[in-house]
Amino acid sequence: MRRSTWLLVAVPLLLPRLSAQTVQNTTLRRAQQAFDNLDYRQALSAAHSSLRERLSGYERARAYELLGFTYSGMDSILKAVDAFKQVVLIEPERELDPNRTSPKALSAFQVALTQILVIRQLRVDSVQFIGGQGNVPIRYTVTQPSRVVARVTGGSLGSMRIDSTVANGQVNIRWPARLPSGDPVPAGSYSVIVEASVGQNSFSASQPIRVAHGTVDTLPHLTSLPGYEYLPETEIPPKSWRPVGLGFVYAGVALAGTSALSNGDLGSPSLREGTVIGLGIVAAGFVMTLKKPAPEPARGNILYNQLLREQIARRNAEIAQENTRRRQQVALSVVPLPRAGGGR
Amino acid sequence: MRTTATLVAAGALAVMPACRLAAQHFSVGPQIAFGDYRETTSDLHFRGAGLGAKASVLWKKFSADVWLSKINYKPHGDSALADFDASEVNVQLRYFISGPFSAELGFMNRKADPEFEAQSMGALTAGAQMSHLLGPGVRMALDGGVLFGPKFSGGGSISPLGAVRLGLGLTVDALKGRLHVVGDYEFQSVSRKTDDGSGSPALPAPIQQSLGRIGLAIAF
Repeated sequence: MRRSTWLLVAVPLLLPRLSAQTVQNTTLRRAQQAFDNLDYRQALSAAHSSLRERLSGYERARAYELLGFTYSGMDSILKAVDAFKQVVLIEPERELDPNRTSPKALSAFQVALTQILVIRQLRVDSVQFIGGQGNVPIRYTVTQPSRVVARVTGGSLGSMRIDSTVANGQVNIRWPARLPSGDPVPAGSYSVIVEASVGQNSFSASQPIRVAHGTVDTLPHLTSLPGYEYLPETEIPPKSWRPVGLGFVYAGVALAGTSALSNGDLGSPSLREGTVIGLGIVAAGFVMTLKKPAPEPARGNILYNQLLREQIARRNAEIAQENTRRRQQVALSVVPLPRAGGGR
Repeated sequence: MRTTATLVAAGALAVMPACRLAAQHFSVGPQIAFGDYRETTSDLHFRGAGLGAKASVLWKKFSADVWLSKINYKPHGDSALADFDASEVNVQLRYFISGPFSAELGFMNRKADPEFEAQSMGALTAGAQMSHLLGPGVRMALDGGVLFGPKFSGGGSISPLGAVRLGLGLTVDALKGRLHVVGDYEFQSVSRKTDDGSGSPALPAPIQQSLGRIGLAIAF
């Protein structure tokens, strides 16, 4: 199918939806024009006439709103309140702009709100948390003191009551998104339904939500501790004369011992053999003195590194334990979906 | 003979890596020995040189050294004495005690040939060794002790502490520890006394030997 053909099909389908939010009825438009011209009698007459005609919900609400404004302008407050009550029943979320509305009309609108039972401004915040460690904030406003029951329905859940209270005005509740068994609510689409009832009157509002499950992020294992670095476990000691000194001592002791232990009857002892080996030892000691010393273990650094390794191992064991726990957890993501319409 | 020994050492070096043991160390190699021997009076004075060999083994806290040597001693100075060969076996077993100290136990046996040109003797030895590392692969040792129950081919006896020995040793590792350059010095002084059986006091007939050994050892 070509693009132009698609447009021909799509435009007629879209037009009624677009026109639903604008006033199409000519009688109602005439009434609006009369009100704008401060011709209240003509406005009342045209608005009442339009209500007897076929109107969309939006147009009906606009017609009653026009009646409310007109009666307010004519100081007929009771009638204005009645008209605004109809507006709120049709559009519970309707609010008047205080900057563009007369105080009389605003006052009549507020009185109308207190005389009917509706649930307004039902909001479910978008939130993400680990199952069992968080809550879904839900708030709404009930216009009259009433028994209000909040439920979540849909999916495999059926209907689960999450709150029941007598309330008036704004109410905040927190839903842990857990089943009675303690398990997190399965992923899927649900509706949060708030029902208010007082006497014979009742009203309910709903907010669709989507619950998604995800995995909880695990922690990476540590290879080092921030700010702490391993120290070299060997260090080169400073050069010393100890090797050649030791060589002299050993050779001296051997030669002196030879002289001391030799028998006087045999003449002066032969030191030739001892001197040859002794000189070898002194020479080796001298070479070792000149040579760069061999690295020696640095005890302090070894102990420090050992402590550091133990600390990292201990922390990694804790992380492994925490990760094992996290792998058994579920990350819940709750997102409110667009509403199809108001309550009743 | 020296050429043969060198060839044997070179051949052993070539095949050595396959034989290296992890928990123990063994080395063996040829030595050149030279010594000074005196007996009874300063007139009986010999000097000589010869060949020898040394084997060492180290296992945990135990170590052992075995020396074999054969020296042809010649009279030193203006003397009408004859040459003789001294074949000596010296064995020292050690146990590491602490720090630089080890305890030693062993025996020595020296045989003179011809038999009557010098005293042959054998004895047990006991003593201690002190060793120090001068640097990487360079170790020196000083040891001393007494000789117990010596037996002499010509008879004689000694007092309990009448025979002492003193030693000095040096080992230098080369070729990453495959080859050791070894030097040893050993001094023996035996205050021997002889009794001719006539009832007259025993006559002193001391024996004294200074022995130096320099050689190579192949480590396994």
